[in-house]
Amino acid sequence: MKRILFNNPTAQRIYDDYIARVNRCVSILSKEDQQELLMEFNSHIYEATHNVSPEDEVEALMNTLDKLGAPEVVLQLTVAHKKVRQATRSFNPKHVVEAIYLNIFNGVGYFIWGMIYLLVLAFGSLAIFKLIAPGHTGFFLKDGHYFVFGYTSHLPDGVTEVLGSWFIVAVIGLMGVFYSLNTVVFRLLKGK
Amino acid sequence: MYYICCMNNEFVQNWFSQVKKGTLSYIILIILDEKEYYGYELVQEIKIHTTLEVAEGTLYPLLNRLKTEGIVDSKWIEQESGIPRKYYTLSKDGRETLTEMKKIWSALGTAIQKIQK
Repeated sequence: MKRILFNNPTAQRIYDDYIARVNRCVSILSKEDQQELLMEFNSHIYEATHNVSPEDEVEALMNTLDKLGAPEVVLQLTVAHKKVRQATRSFNPKHVVEAIYLNIFNGVGYFIWGMIYLLVLAFGSLAIFKLIAPGHTGFFLKDGHYFVFGYTSHLPDGVTEVLGSWFIVAVIGLMGVFYSLNTVVFRLLKGK
Repeated sequence: MYYICCMNNEFVQNWFSQVKKGTLSYIILIILDEKEYYGYELVQEIKIHTTLEVAEGTLYPLLNRLKTEGIVDSKWIEQESGIPRKYYTLSKDGRETLTEMKKIWSALGTAIQKIQK
């Protein structure tokens, strides 16, 4: 992004400080999203101030920044939404945690979305656990009743695992179901 | 008496804020239906055609949202200054959305006119 150059040093300092604040607010986003938002602010500031004389630069810039608002406030919702989009595209746990953190105040919807995401991760982990510790991972019944679905280090007498290798298929299937559910929840949240 | 006057004023101001919030996207779509605009130019255009004081801080998140919804498209166009402009246009979906919104607005206007008589 090309830096705007002002003739008035005070205007330059005000501009640099504002852009630094925008930079800080968007730093959590992907490089493309950061660039997009920075360029949007920069373009607006340039269009609003490039025709004024050097002695009016400070006033014109202050008016423009005042109307744009504090980046920490005006960017809050945009950054939160862009982070959710990045998280759902990449499915990267770091982005998901950041998205949940940013959206925690946007209602319980995102909390549910985060919980479902954790379930998807948990089912994925169980598939790996079944390969590492097959005797302790599975769908266990004790005396014909449900005992454990998952991993357990404690296996009392009378416990039998009923799914065998099909357990991996079952947890991958559950991952698919919850992933689809998460997509639906995300679409509902996006439509709010 | 003074108390009642201020209470009414506050109510009207709140109501007007809500109306502004609700109609801003409609106004943007009508303006973008004519031609493409870049952000700053769009703000000026809104000011020319309406008496609404639009805070730029509310306009850009709204434009971003309209883009996410697929109602507007945007593209960066390089300028001689080296600082590009982001131009916004109505998408195909946006034009259909605007047609629908115009119908709703018209029906609402007619209904209010009837009630006011």
